[in-house]
Amino acid sequence: MNTNPQTIQSKRDGVEAGAGLFFFLFAAAKKCALLLPVAVLALFFALPVVKLIVLSMQHDSGFTFAHYADLLQEPRTWKTLKDTAAIVIGSSLLAVILGAVTAWFVAYTDLKYKQALQMAILFSYMIPSYVLTISWTSLMGTQGPAAYLLHLVDPNAKPWSMYSYGGIIFMMGIHHFPLVYLLSVDVFRKVPRDLEWASRAGGAGKVKTFFLVTLPIALPGLAGGGLLAFLAGLDNFGIPAFLGIPAHISVLSTLIYEQIIGFGPSAFSKGAALSVVLVLFAAAGAMLQWLLVRKNNPFDAGVPDDSPRYFLGPYRTLVSLLLWGFLAVITVVPSLSMLAVSLKKAYGVPFTLPNLTLDHYQYILFESTKVWRSMQNSFLLAAVTLGICFAFGTWIAYVRVRRPSWLAKTAEIVIALPFTLPGIVFGLAMIFVWMEPVPGWNPGIYGSMQILFIAYVCRFLILQVRSGISAFMQIDVSMEEAAHIFGADRRRKWLRILLPLLAPGLLGGGILVFLTALTELTVSAILWSAGSQTIGVTVYGFEQAGDTMYSTALSSLVIALILAGMAVIYTLQKVQAKRGVRS
Amino acid sequence: MMKKEALIAGFAALLVLSGCGSQDKPASTQTAGNQSAAGGATKEASAPISGKLVFYTSQPEEDATKLTGAFNKKYPDVKVETFRSGTEEVAAKIQAENKAGKVQADVLLLADSVTFEGLKKQNLLLSYKSPQLDKIPKTLVDPDGMYSGTKVMATVLAVNTQKVKTPPTSWKALSSAESKGAAIMPSPLYSGAAAYNVGVLTRTDGFGWDFFKGLKDSGISVVQGNGAVLKAVAAGEKSYGMVVDYLVAREKAKGSPVEPVYPSEGVPVITEPIGIMKDTANDKAAKAFVDFVLSEDGQKLASDIGYTPIREGVQAPKGLKSLSEFKVISSDITKLTEAREADKKEFTQLFGQ
Repeated sequence: MNTNPQTIQSKRDGVEAGAGLFFFLFAAAKKCALLLPVAVLALFFALPVVKLIVLSMQHDSGFTFAHYADLLQEPRTWKTLKDTAAIVIGSSLLAVILGAVTAWFVAYTDLKYKQALQMAILFSYMIPSYVLTISWTSLMGTQGPAAYLLHLVDPNAKPWSMYSYGGIIFMMGIHHFPLVYLLSVDVFRKVPRDLEWASRAGGAGKVKTFFLVTLPIALPGLAGGGLLAFLAGLDNFGIPAFLGIPAHISVLSTLIYEQIIGFGPSAFSKGAALSVVLVLFAAAGAMLQWLLVRKNNPFDAGVPDDSPRYFLGPYRTLVSLLLWGFLAVITVVPSLSMLAVSLKKAYGVPFTLPNLTLDHYQYILFESTKVWRSMQNSFLLAAVTLGICFAFGTWIAYVRVRRPSWLAKTAEIVIALPFTLPGIVFGLAMIFVWMEPVPGWNPGIYGSMQILFIAYVCRFLILQVRSGISAFMQIDVSMEEAAHIFGADRRRKWLRILLPLLAPGLLGGGILVFLTALTELTVSAILWSAGSQTIGVTVYGFEQAGDTMYSTALSSLVIALILAGMAVIYTLQKVQAKRGVRS
Repeated sequence: MMKKEALIAGFAALLVLSGCGSQDKPASTQTAGNQSAAGGATKEASAPISGKLVFYTSQPEEDATKLTGAFNKKYPDVKVETFRSGTEEVAAKIQAENKAGKVQADVLLLADSVTFEGLKKQNLLLSYKSPQLDKIPKTLVDPDGMYSGTKVMATVLAVNTQKVKTPPTSWKALSSAESKGAAIMPSPLYSGAAAYNVGVLTRTDGFGWDFFKGLKDSGISVVQGNGAVLKAVAAGEKSYGMVVDYLVAREKAKGSPVEPVYPSEGVPVITEPIGIMKDTANDKAAKAFVDFVLSEDGQKLASDIGYTPIREGVQAPKGLKSLSEFKVISSDITKLTEAREADKKEFTQLFGQ
């Protein structure tokens, strides 16, 4: 046995040094744990935008602000900026109002068939925007059904033109309101009933209670959904391109597209400069949203309350009719018109029995190999994107709500960027970053399906993050503290306490991610490669080849599949609920 | 813009490796470009042509699949990988790839020659004078051999046969009293073919910007692309449309109430040119591909699919006119390319934005 004090001392030193090293490593690991996400965010989300900024200032001889100066001198740019602001803000407000009203009715009242109602609401987000626009323009056209009805009243009346500011705002509003609905319906359910009772007992009327209690508590969901609708409106190309061009209205996304395909020597740089302007727009929207919810404290709500709070009584049928009527007009009518086209032998022939055929369905189901391939690809892409976004997005939302720092806030904006950029711009930025990540070295990510996985996750993560944030803002930190006090470890805390409480809100975000990814077009149209075509690319291809019947048949099929999937989930839930009761 | 599709499901297995392969063959093949230009046909027989060929196109997918399938019957060892999207998307993709390091495509087939003129100016194309060119009209081929037309697509006047009983004979029908509010055209800001038409017509006697002023005064609708124009006319929403002829013929064959009219003043044509990228990694296969598209077999295939072929002696499909049967209005392509931005601006100002 060695009793030499010096050896002991040196051993002790060793232990201390070891411990020191351990703590150093531990601290470093903790720092790394922070650094890693920062690095990931920088690489995947920020770098494409940085490359765009560089490009917007690039010139033959070094850096320049000439592209910005050129753009800002053109009156058309200013008009476009004004139009963009009017259209995007207008459509976001419409989406928030529609989303809030529908969410309130579903959460608060004793309406029947709420599940079906929710499906119908999601439906309008699922219908591709070009189908929505085409069916509405034919509905409201000078020879459409709306004109027919109007002529019965007044032979000189003309239906409201969809090719106008109002038309664009309306289309975007009804297309994006499900974003607001999904982010706020669960928030409404969690508004504490006792607070409302207290308010009523204190003498406030129904309306006053709604504005002083319900609305402020539901604000995170509404503001979050409104922000998503705002960003989606900025990015949307299909609706303003279709409705705006004939009316000579341009917004940032269409102007950017024009610049990029303009093909001149400075086309790319100008497009990039405009994209940077668009990013600033998006950041302003995010700021506004922060200001709105800044003073909002989470309430000790927690448990979603599914039982109705308002009984509509004699108005129940009327309200149901109104809501269903509204949803029917905005979703069933366009989808039926799409279905009708897919069943006709040729475009433009009248809808009569001899003109109907199932040939188009036979073609896409049995004769075309690419349709199945694209469905497999899209479902795989959507599922993987959902999985990654769900895990990563929930965690980011947790950090953003529980440990709000400037870093977390910046992260939120950075994550929002890919969603905000028009698809073509984001697709090009992905090429800049991923074709040769290190100059001269092409790892083959670009040119394979991998680039689509990266692009989808980057683009749609914000949907999950936003819905996660609204869900977490509803749960007071005391829930977690209680879990800790009772000795739950981290795993138990998440699995037993947090996730069950958050599930409805998080699932709402998940559904958005999945559906958006499933029908994505604009990014895929630039980045797909042999073997990795998606549903959107296939529909677009049919459409461009003039095969509208095939494209509508495929779109109808996809919607039918999604509905079938939802029906299966719904039935499974019911079966499980019954079992729960029995046991 | 007529667009297209491409994608061969059978190549799915290749996709993972596709990015890396293209760099295996370095610059050595590039210099061979000009030499084999003259003797391309003889070499074909001696050395088997193989390897990977990346093909970017704006043709409809079905057409591109038929084309690569027919090419593979002749050259089974070449693995053609197709990317198809709209002309604008393909062009933007090429620009981005060029900025990011290297254009990945070997062969390019897009809607109009102005896009190719732009690429030529950027020095991105390879000069190749195919032996097949002697049967292709000189005016539809680049004199420097950078690209060549592959088919003829005329922009015609489409009429809805239920609305218009006596078919017009002149473009002036679009600005006449009976077409007030009933005419439609694609936007030159979005469609390359439409931009070409504006460029050509504004430089043609009897048309000029006055023609477009007339269109504006009679309330013509301007929409995104040719497809939207055709749909509006087919559905009877509009009675007259300016649109690419083969779309009208296809839709008519299916039973839609539409009819293509070739006005007596002549029609602008786009030629869907083909060209080889300068940095191609497989110039042999690329040249063989170009030869095939322009050959009698390739042109017959185009006619079978439903396009007007460009090669002398190959018949146009039913419902379309051959190149010799109508008058072509054209203009100097270099000037058109230079003036395209200005033309678009002028159009924007005229139609008010």
